Amino acid sequence: MRRGALDTLIEAETPEGISLELRPAGLPARFFAFLLDWAIRIAVIVAAAQISALMGGIGTAVWIISLFVLEWLYPVAFELGRAGATPGKSAMGLRVVMDSGLPVTPAASLTRNLLRVADFLPLMYGFGIISMLLRKDFKRLGDLVAGTMVVHRPRAVARASLPEVEAVAPAIGIGLTEQAAIVALASRASRMTGERLDELAALAAPVVGQPGDSGAVVTRRVLGVARWLMGQRK
Amino acid sequence: MTPLQFESLYEADWKRLEDMVQQCLARGRRGAARAPAVQGEQLAILYRRACEQLALARQRAYPPYLVERLERVTGDAHQLIYQRRQFGAAAFREFIARGFPRTVRQHRYYVLAASLLFLVPTLVLGVLIHQRPDLVLSVMDANTADMFEQMYSGDGESLGRRRDVNSDWAMFGYYIRNNVGVSFQCFAGGLFLGLGSIFYLVFNGAQAGAVAGYLTERGLGDTFYSFVVTHASFELTAIVLSGAAGLRLGNGLLAPRRLTRRASLVKAAVEVAPMVYGFALMLLIAAAIEGFWSSATWLPGVVRYSVAAACWAGVLSYFIWQGRRAD
Repeated sequence: MRRGALDTLIEAETPEGISLELRPAGLPARFFAFLLDWAIRIAVIVAAAQISALMGGIGTAVWIISLFVLEWLYPVAFELGRAGATPGKSAMGLRVVMDSGLPVTPAASLTRNLLRVADFLPLMYGFGIISMLLRKDFKRLGDLVAGTMVVHRPRAVARASLPEVEAVAPAIGIGLTEQAAIVALASRASRMTGERLDELAALAAPVVGQPGDSGAVVTRRVLGVARWLMGQRK
Repeated sequence: MTPLQFESLYEADWKRLEDMVQQCLARGRRGAARAPAVQGEQLAILYRRACEQLALARQRAYPPYLVERLERVTGDAHQLIYQRRQFGAAAFREFIARGFPRTVRQHRYYVLAASLLFLVPTLVLGVLIHQRPDLVLSVMDANTADMFEQMYSGDGESLGRRRDVNSDWAMFGYYIRNNVGVSFQCFAGGLFLGLGSIFYLVFNGAQAGAVAGYLTERGLGDTFYSFVVTHASFELTAIVLSGAAGLRLGNGLLAPRRLTRRASLVKAAVEVAPMVYGFALMLLIAAAIEGFWSSATWLPGVVRYSVAAACWAGVLSYFIWQGRRAD
């Protein structure tokens, strides 16, 4: 509701009664994560080949078994860790969660990674990519079956600082959404051109009363109202 | 209450919660997860408070940076608190003693169907190729047939092996990779309405039958059967179970009953999950037997066939009787 229908946000409710907002990760982020993981795996395989070459018969076994482990268990092992993601996904700021927003369970992680076989068909993850592109939550087939999702880890948000203007009490009573809109405008003020700020502030003109004014005067007062709403009422 | 009052009132709590979450994540990375008990309790209390405050902040339409900060910290704490970290021995024992055989019995019709899909082509091709060996070329090319013939003929040294790999350990590794690949294909094929599972079951059954029929006809039957019969108890069963799991997925898609197709598929996956763990474990055992025991050709045939019979009896009775009591 807060952010519009354009966003691909998914709400998941927790037992504490709050809704977490999950932001599913699309194809590009996951593609780069996959490339990184792939590079890591290749590096390990090359290293393992060097080591196993020194060890003779057992070396071959170690190498083949490590191939197997890297192929099937590498994602599972990392997804069940605290980061909930392989190194590649971690680097891209992604993590794997259940549809409920809970951490991924062992069964689900195993399922989604074994079903990579199906996603890979007919070639180069063809079905997986088609499924991701068609769906709003960007799930590949393995995710669909396991009930998991790859989401963006929430990023740290800088504390907004409002422009230094004199606080002004609003001239009329305003609702919560309008209050939020005015404060949001004020906290973005430093990142806008003056003209655009004036334009947007003019929309909130009724809040500050004094119908005769326009331009920078109104803007200043709207910003003042934002300060007042935030509680800086000197 | 204004946003700033709200923030200054609870700032200390949020900061502590954020620090705790960071600390836990850092600990996990170093591998030493020894958080004191008090801290866990504190974390839970702070988390619940932050949840309440987030709900308030949303309700009162506080500025985005405030709400987003709370969303972030509650989200992180939520992941931490609900993480499952119990992979203990007790769960494993429960799985072996009850979970796995029960799941298999619950899916007995799928197992039956998968067995038939695998065994019928095996028998048909086996008998056909035994009668007319040239038919083997319709299943595999001449080089492969030749390779199999060489693998099971001549001295015991290279029995059942590709000639480029030369130790028990190496073959153990090779078998794991190969067999697990086949099984996972049988399972994942279920996603295509079960057709993939059917295809891989029939295909692998046909291959096995062709090899068996061809080698028998060539008079290498004894070396071949004494080599494969022991580990086949685990390997063929595991392949059939993986196919059965795949068929269950396919049926979930085809006949969702009163659920949506997707919900039905997820339900099927949850149901067969123990079977997936189980057949992966069985393949591991099969590869170990194949690598270390089956190649021990110096043992007398009686011993080898007895052990094989014991394995088959063990595997089958495990699935039929294990874990029936104490429901």
